[in-house]
Amino acid sequence: MVIAKQMDVRANIKKYFDMAYEGEPVVVPRKENKNVMIISEELYNELMTQSRMTAYAGKSEKHVEEKKHPKTEVVTDVRAFNMKKLEAIAGLKDGWNGNGAPAIPKKLINHVRTILDEMMIQPEIFPTALQTIQFEFDNTRRDHMEIEIGLEETAEVFLVRYDGAESFEDIPNSAEGIDERVRAFYG
Amino acid sequence: MDNTFKSEEKLFRAVYPPELVQMFWRFDGKVSSAAFADPNGLSVDRAGGRDDKQVISVMQKRFDGRVVYVRVRNCTEIGAKVEYLPSRSNVYHSEIHGSETAALLSKSQRRHLADKAVVV
Repeated sequence: MVIAKQMDVRANIKKYFDMAYEGEPVVVPRKENKNVMIISEELYNELMTQSRMTAYAGKSEKHVEEKKHPKTEVVTDVRAFNMKKLEAIAGLKDGWNGNGAPAIPKKLINHVRTILDEMMIQPEIFPTALQTIQFEFDNTRRDHMEIEIGLEETAEVFLVRYDGAESFEDIPNSAEGIDERVRAFYG
Repeated sequence: MDNTFKSEEKLFRAVYPPELVQMFWRFDGKVSSAAFADPNGLSVDRAGGRDDKQVISVMQKRFDGRVVYVRVRNCTEIGAKVEYLPSRSNVYHSEIHGSETAALLSKSQRRHLADKAVVV
């Protein structure tokens, strides 16, 4: 999945249509979280079939099947998904990684909630055993960016460019500072 | 088994927490590098001459989440150290360390291993 700005999509519509046709969904963030997603007709039909099958199979059967073969959820509202996931992260107890990882501090959960609430382009979020939460982003140039958020004054950015070049930088650990860096990444 | 690893040997990692299987999975189906951050060293089960099926059947007795593997060469090519550290309950237990002196993998090493990880 790639995230592209509305302006960028308008200017390169063929590129994004081709990308979606090749199977790479394109998310276009818009104000007030009125985001849209471009997907191929094939993927749309597949999703509709899955949706019909799920409805037919019933809840309990679906639960058993998911336990056996956990699938990646199809996410259309990334912000809502992140908020839900953050609650799950908040629920992790000491030792959650099977090797003594401490629980994620409540103060950090609240801090990340504020950041997510204010960010226009949503990340994918993951807990770490270092009592931090990692944001991940991928842009259409195939660059990858990770921002590790803890309770310090700065957050660490790890950038891997499409050609493999790596760099690090510290940015202010605030919604504004992080949002600014993310916009630059997609700019 | 001793502390000698062949470069093609597989190292299996259970992705915790098992009850929240989506916690470390990205939308593109790959595992996040965050799953490879462990200040105590990254616990893995070495193949030790077993095939994937045998390893998974043993791991699933104590875990019902997803399992990934990387090869020893994926670790050595980034300067990470693989240590054979058998325990009383698990003779295959090993750990991947960032270096001789640091158990934690660097961000770059974590990203590399996440990129090379194969879901079983």
